Amino acid sequence: MEPKDKIYQEAKQRSLEYTTRRHFLKECRTGIGVMALGSFLSGCDWLSTKKSATAAAFDVNNPLAPKAPHFAGKAKSVIYLHMAGAPSQLELFDYKPELTKMHGQPCPQSFIEGKKFAFIRGVPTLLGPQAEFKQYGKSGIWLSNNLPHFQTVVDEVSLLKAVTTDQFNHAPAQLLMHTGSARLGRPSMGSWVTYGLGSENSNLPGFVVLTSGGSNPDAGKSVWGSGFLPSVYQGIQCRSAGDPVLFIKDPEGMDRDLKKASIDAINAINKSSYEEFGDPETLSRISQYEMAFKMQVTVPEVMNINDEPQYIHDMYGTKPGQTAFANNALLARKLVEKGVRFVQLFDWGWDTHGTGPDGSLGIGLINKCREVDKAMTALLLDLKQRGLLEETLIVWGGEFGRTPMQENREGKQNGWTGRDHHSDAFTIWMAGAGIKKGFSHGETDEIGYNAVTGKVSVYDIQATILQQLGFDHEKLTYEFQGRPFRLTDVHGKLINEIIA
Amino acid sequence: MSALFRNKIFITILLIAIGIGGYSFMFTDEIDFNADVKPIFNKKCISCHGGVKKKSGFSLLFPAEAFGPTESGKTAIVPGDPDASEMIKRIKHHDPEERMPYKEAPLSDEEIETLTKWVRQGAKWGDHWAYVPVKQQTVPKLKRRLFGILPSPYTDWVKNDVDHFVLDKLKDKDLEPSPEADKHVLLRRAALDIIGMPAPEGIAKHFLANNSPNAYEQLVDTLLSLPSYGEKWTSMWLDLARYADTKGYERDDVRKIWRYRDWLIKAFNADKPYNVFLTEQIAGDLLPDATDEQFIATAFHRNSMTNDEGGTDNEEFRTAAVLDRVNTTWDVLLGTTFACVQCHSHPYDPFRHEDYYKFMAFFNNTRDEDTFGEYPLLWEYKHEDSVKYENVVKWFRQNVSEEECGNVIQFLKTRQPSINSLTADSFVNGELADTKWLALRNYSRARFRNVDLTNRERLLMRMQSWVPDGKLEIHLDDPAGPLLTSFIVPLANKGWMLHEVDIKPAQGKHNLYFVYQSAKLEKDRNGMMFDWLTFTNYLPGKEKPGYDSAVAGFFHLISKGDAITTPVMVENPVYMQRKTQVFERGNWTAKTKEVQPNVPASLNPFPKGAPRNRLGLAQWMTDKKNPLTARTMVNRVWEQLFGTGLAETLEDLGSQGIAPTHPELLDHLAYQFMNDDNWSVKKLIREIVLSATYRQDSRVTPEALEKDKFNRYYARGPRVRLSAEQMRDQALAVSGTLFPEMYGPSSKPWQPDGIWNSPYSGGEKWENTYGPERYRRAVYTYWKRTSGYPSMLNFDAMQREVCAARRIRTNTPLQALTLLNDYAYVDISRQFAFGLQKEYSDVNASIAAAYEKATGRPASSERMAVLQSLYKEALAKFKKDADATCEMAGLQDEHNKPETAALIVVVHSIMNLDEVITKP
Repeated sequence: MEPKDKIYQEAKQRSLEYTTRRHFLKECRTGIGVMALGSFLSGCDWLSTKKSATAAAFDVNNPLAPKAPHFAGKAKSVIYLHMAGAPSQLELFDYKPELTKMHGQPCPQSFIEGKKFAFIRGVPTLLGPQAEFKQYGKSGIWLSNNLPHFQTVVDEVSLLKAVTTDQFNHAPAQLLMHTGSARLGRPSMGSWVTYGLGSENSNLPGFVVLTSGGSNPDAGKSVWGSGFLPSVYQGIQCRSAGDPVLFIKDPEGMDRDLKKASIDAINAINKSSYEEFGDPETLSRISQYEMAFKMQVTVPEVMNINDEPQYIHDMYGTKPGQTAFANNALLARKLVEKGVRFVQLFDWGWDTHGTGPDGSLGIGLINKCREVDKAMTALLLDLKQRGLLEETLIVWGGEFGRTPMQENREGKQNGWTGRDHHSDAFTIWMAGAGIKKGFSHGETDEIGYNAVTGKVSVYDIQATILQQLGFDHEKLTYEFQGRPFRLTDVHGKLINEIIA
Repeated sequence: MSALFRNKIFITILLIAIGIGGYSFMFTDEIDFNADVKPIFNKKCISCHGGVKKKSGFSLLFPAEAFGPTESGKTAIVPGDPDASEMIKRIKHHDPEERMPYKEAPLSDEEIETLTKWVRQGAKWGDHWAYVPVKQQTVPKLKRRLFGILPSPYTDWVKNDVDHFVLDKLKDKDLEPSPEADKHVLLRRAALDIIGMPAPEGIAKHFLANNSPNAYEQLVDTLLSLPSYGEKWTSMWLDLARYADTKGYERDDVRKIWRYRDWLIKAFNADKPYNVFLTEQIAGDLLPDATDEQFIATAFHRNSMTNDEGGTDNEEFRTAAVLDRVNTTWDVLLGTTFACVQCHSHPYDPFRHEDYYKFMAFFNNTRDEDTFGEYPLLWEYKHEDSVKYENVVKWFRQNVSEEECGNVIQFLKTRQPSINSLTADSFVNGELADTKWLALRNYSRARFRNVDLTNRERLLMRMQSWVPDGKLEIHLDDPAGPLLTSFIVPLANKGWMLHEVDIKPAQGKHNLYFVYQSAKLEKDRNGMMFDWLTFTNYLPGKEKPGYDSAVAGFFHLISKGDAITTPVMVENPVYMQRKTQVFERGNWTAKTKEVQPNVPASLNPFPKGAPRNRLGLAQWMTDKKNPLTARTMVNRVWEQLFGTGLAETLEDLGSQGIAPTHPELLDHLAYQFMNDDNWSVKKLIREIVLSATYRQDSRVTPEALEKDKFNRYYARGPRVRLSAEQMRDQALAVSGTLFPEMYGPSSKPWQPDGIWNSPYSGGEKWENTYGPERYRRAVYTYWKRTSGYPSMLNFDAMQREVCAARRIRTNTPLQALTLLNDYAYVDISRQFAFGLQKEYSDVNASIAAAYEKATGRPASSERMAVLQSLYKEALAKFKKDADATCEMAGLQDEHNKPETAALIVVVHSIMNLDEVITKP
């Protein structure tokens, strides 16, 4: 079959499965009296006809029921690897030999006039690349020696080297990246996707967040919040220490059998309540308790990496028992394997201002690269060997880039090599799910200050991610405060150049 | 003529008659603009011909633009003459290039017919229902049956006016009202709604034993008089006020603003009339001789966020806070979505782009400037210093003029007016440290613009200084301009201190250049830093006895007074006023035309003689002619009691919101609220909960469910899942753990470890409380914006970064997990079980009592059997497992028994029941 026909067939199949399921579930209401309160009741579509201005697009009683996108997308899932603090593109991806030559010279006025920086004041000096660059792979893409593992898979990815944002502080820039607005209050990308697609696996959340690096991202939980969408679409933070999901563990002294007995008793009485009051919410509650019981098994299972074979652990460089990016990368693979739609990883600690060794390009950045390089490479290879890379979109990047200048603060040069926040050009890479392989899009000027060609905005990236999932970013909307809102607000252009 | 033929003629005549009848019926049928026309405009036309775009100079938002000439010179709508109306021509046009809507599917024949008829009938423009003042409504009468011989069957059902309106609609929908609910149900429902938790035992017992016909009325009055009433309604208001115990944004550091929460509780309990309640929150500081309480009320709009992140533009976030105040005011107090008007004219409703900025001008002149200290604050002196404060104020009252005394009091209370150092600019060798405070180095300078020096004698500043020899000069209008003052800055390296110097006389406004040097400073080291400064005068009353001690008292209070501080609103004095400009497409950096404070022309006029400030604005909002204020509040109270508003979209009563199901009832209640009841919220609640509508049984038959799934017509009582707050409070109340302490700083009840994992939390950590404070009501739970209390978030509590006019209830497995596994609920169940064991020796009695306390009614034998069997299963388990027993019972020796552990499991399961977490 031609690939085009195959896509069409798949879309038809999906749509068919969807409607059949809806039909079947609608029917089940008539048989409610005789039906055992089995697990598939969770989808019993009692209120499918509910319509209201805000609730038109989802069913309050089964808000996570799988839904069809606008068209058949290449991606079934997204793994977004966010390096919070903003990694330096100039030490990783954007090779600028001219900058080496100009190292130590005062930054030309034309670059800094009328510009605002988070910390730099006065005239800073240019800082040459603090890493060695070479070309790798068949594609001959330039990469630095900070990413020895990633060099081996560069032919799988598309680099976007001219990404721009309009925020130069962490929290607003992270919010813009993930919610389409620098202000708090909008739904995050994962929430939009879960709202649009529902969840494939009713025993797991549709949108999972994993954090590493010792801290949550600067913008807090709002980067995976549901904003004005119902809270059911917010990202569920899974944790590698403590309970993997809040409240997933049985209370002390209660084993599975006793929990089952307890839920059976609760649901038996709830069933009487339903018979007495006839409230459909009660039925939904019964199924939510059943689902909760199952999630208590499935979530810890999927969150447990101990049973993975040793070669997988070696490949990722996991650190069992600790909170580590490598563990989270492996978990991300496990989660998409189980049908989770959107997996969001945040790794904190990439803010290399040069104010201390941990925040320097010479030490801090190299350490951060050691923590993620192997694991992100392993994730690509692992998904590929399982045939999942074709349907999983991976996105890697920070919230902005870093200046070609050495940072000074209050007029004096910082003690370590470091760069300030930079919103005019930075690099993000994407891979899998219909993204071109071994491709580089966009160029910056000779010192890496401004995007020159192939400039893309944060909104363009969001539009492209939604596109790969089967959504027209202009049509995935939610009515709020009297108008339809969307992730990309009034912006967003597809980056067709990187779509295979 | 054959019979057949005759019949044919007859039928033909009949058909013609029907046709004519139908035609004339259609002809005489008046088209209603709001019901019939506006929806077509909104759906099909307004995206190109509305507030955002006005293609070809034609817009359907305002009559002037709809009936006026378009760019082509043709008139789109000619009242009475469809054939001359370009709009009608174009919607009927056969050429797709000419036909409207352009490049979209044509209008349906029905829609075309409606619009044509509307034009033919004179194209009468109608104002949207929510924008016309509330009128007194005629209460529908009960209809007698059988030609008026028999009384209405509902004579006994009806309790008050509400029911007449409801009955009227029920009839339309062919629904029958339900009988009054059982007494147990009424008790629990009314208590959950009025005080947010089950009624105290004494009150409950009294009501159940009270056989008087007005027993329920007495119960409602008792509940309304309890202090817990204020706590319940405050939890609702906190979403509207976007109240939080932190500042928001990246740092999300601590904010002390709980005095505002306490103000709300007291205001609700005192049944402060809603017009006063609003006026004090919008403009309490501007009331004559404003009291501390009135200042605290203005913290309503200081709940906007403050950005402490280094490198952020303070003016940007000051502006963001002002915009947030505008949006909040409209969203939650006026039930109108206004945020869209920030960027362009409202796409659907009659608000112009400029209206937004005219309205913003009311809020754009407060002293707050996104400072780290969240100035201005209200200082409420406590302990000995409150006495000192009273004495100082008394002295000034007795010895100086009223105006002078007012200034002294204002400064003691608010440290205003003063200049925040972060407004400095033109730095040389200096800067804003962390973009918060002006820091100066050797040979540095900075500028303060437009400072009024008229008749000032002194400079008072809050500063730090790390060298003893720093010299500060202040020059007028140029770094080398005339010297205003010059002084050696004292060493002040133990935190902020106040310092005061004399200045030379100067008049008018000047740009001030601060020039600083210190020989002791190494290059690049800060010598001194400012928090705020103010040009002021010697305290008045110099010649009067006792002056020195009054002055000493004054300085003691302003430098180290012991006080509770709360961010409040303080208006700019005239000489510091900002102008307000329209932001081009909502972008705050693109400022265009200057505007003056005003309200949208499409609503009631600004009251004559009212000041053009927030106080005047409050008068406009609480004017009985304001169409939105009372309707919004009545709709909200209804939503709290019935689960859905009479107009479902509480936040949008505009033409895009969902139209009210009972517009007459909404207006009736709004009218009564403003007039007969003098804005009493308690009376409003009382009226609704005393209605037969509210008192109905909530059981529903499948047929009734089919006719009205969401109970929008009220043929049954409200059955709604409890709010996050009600859920917690109920659990505390029924388990006997509730710690009833009111007011004061927020508490930190149990939450899982590692929730607060933000990079910067101002050093504050969540430390679980282990004392009885862990059982305080939900309204006192510490609320961190970027990391709210997780179990409440799972039950749809809002993050409160911005206001939330309405919560949308969901039903998710995470809610089940929360109630099943959250340690807080295990702990509460444990305490509940311990108490039951003390009260009852028999386990079955304990189980029955637990169920009855939690649901407010005795357990059926069927339910008892289920619970008893769970108990047996648990008991058998724990008897075999001493460790599990110990863990479940909580390690306390006297409770470490399988019987106790098993009872805890049963009690905990009861707390999870649908009927427990749902209002009956």
